[in-house]
Amino acid sequence: MRVLRSIVLVLLFAFLPLPIIVVALSSLTKTGYFTIPLESISLRWYIEFFTDQQWIGLLLISGAIAVLVALISTTVALMSALVLARHKFTGSGAFETLIMLPLVFPNAALGVAFLGLLGLLGVSGTYLGIVLAHCIITLPFAYRPILNSLRKLDPAIEEASMSLGASPGKVLRTVTLPLLKPGLISAFLFCFIVSFDEATITVFLIAPDVTTLPVRILTEIQESASPSSRPSPHS
Amino acid sequence: MTTSTKPPLILLIPPAILLVAFLTGIGYLVVESLRTDMGWGLGNFVDFFDRPDYVAVLIRTIVIALASTLLAGVIGYPIAYAIAQYKGNRNFLMMLVIMPWLVSVVVRTYGWIVILGPKGTLNSLLMSLGIIETPIRMIFNMTGVVIGLVHVFCPFFIVSVLSVLLYLDRGLNEASQTLSAGPIKTFLNITWPLSLPGVITGAILVYLLSTGAIVTPLLLGGVRDGMLATQIYQDVLQVFDYPKASSMAIILLLAAFSLIIPLQLLERRVAARVSGMGR
Repeated sequence: MRVLRSIVLVLLFAFLPLPIIVVALSSLTKTGYFTIPLESISLRWYIEFFTDQQWIGLLLISGAIAVLVALISTTVALMSALVLARHKFTGSGAFETLIMLPLVFPNAALGVAFLGLLGLLGVSGTYLGIVLAHCIITLPFAYRPILNSLRKLDPAIEEASMSLGASPGKVLRTVTLPLLKPGLISAFLFCFIVSFDEATITVFLIAPDVTTLPVRILTEIQESASPSSRPSPHS
Repeated sequence: MTTSTKPPLILLIPPAILLVAFLTGIGYLVVESLRTDMGWGLGNFVDFFDRPDYVAVLIRTIVIALASTLLAGVIGYPIAYAIAQYKGNRNFLMMLVIMPWLVSVVVRTYGWIVILGPKGTLNSLLMSLGIIETPIRMIFNMTGVVIGLVHVFCPFFIVSVLSVLLYLDRGLNEASQTLSAGPIKTFLNITWPLSLPGVITGAILVYLLSTGAIVTPLLLGGVRDGMLATQIYQDVLQVFDYPKASSMAIILLLAAFSLIIPLQLLERRVAARVSGMGR
């Protein structure tokens, strides 16, 4: 009974990392498929990726989008959290709900909605539009960790520094922000990962010469079984 | 508290801009879905339900999402339970759950093509062992989509359940055991009911994400196994008919919400009952 339980658990735990391990292993094979018995090992897919201007360009673009989105979202989430954690006014609850709202929409529906929005704003098929859409969908991921660290912060510390004559700006810079650091870092990382990986919504927002790395990999896999796309920097 | 620790409301302007943009997008979606060639009306929705292939896609979407939710629960709950019960270093087990999360959905889904595809690991293994002659078709059908969705969204379920299980009062378990209830009885009467809020939250998340998924059904589904999300994507790509796409997005929203809202109400009742039990 105990042994059986352990076997089941090991299998269940193996299930989650399995495809990633297989992708990583097969990216080192010549055929691009990890077959048993194993065929010859080669780095050709990596060489193909890193010698192709197009892939390197996409890697840099997706990285740049993700950094920009993470910076904007974290800043905006910090602003919201600072106000909403300390003020209770009519609509503050609704404001918070609105920030979290994108989470409860199916991604494909969000994709169609953003497609329309970017058309309205005249930025469809641009990187600016993709950044805007990513900022909206990452905001809840940034807001939560920042709010949590803000709730743990004792207002008495801020009051103490203020009563010692520090200006509100100085309190924010020297007391509040350093204490919020863990929350800010996890907010930034969450946003970066979500934006860098996002394909479901972004497929609606691309144009022929405006795309991101995950979307390009997706179309590459779809168009051909050729896995040259696979050794993404992630795998 | 001194007034100066209260940050000025002006700080809410940047988030408000993002939220207004978001609401504009949703509003535009709703308005456009009502635009037809003959003025405003529900024509797009009528057209949708007049097409048997679209209705089949809608039903398939709900079936696949429900199956994925159920399986994610069956696989995810034991994992969450095992992590919560584990006496040693939990962080390693948590890493196994969270690590896949950091890897792109596209890559994770591709992994299943490599494992289960016609030229994949499993087929090549079975063929070299002489068990099968020709590759078995394991993906590019509904099964493939469900496997992919369960794998991609299972961590959400695990973390939801775990966030409840980790904060359960261990004393309750011990009390139940001292009162000579066996481990199974303790689980059924104590742990399971108390973990229900986490189960419901996890199920909501997995169902929601499954209905809206595009990458997984696109890569692991067959040509005739499209889900509503992929249908919308293909329609937008082929014929740029925004009103039609937006009406389909609204139907997708309703399909998602029609299950989630009752579940959320259930969750509130369960949570209220559980907190009453815990005291």
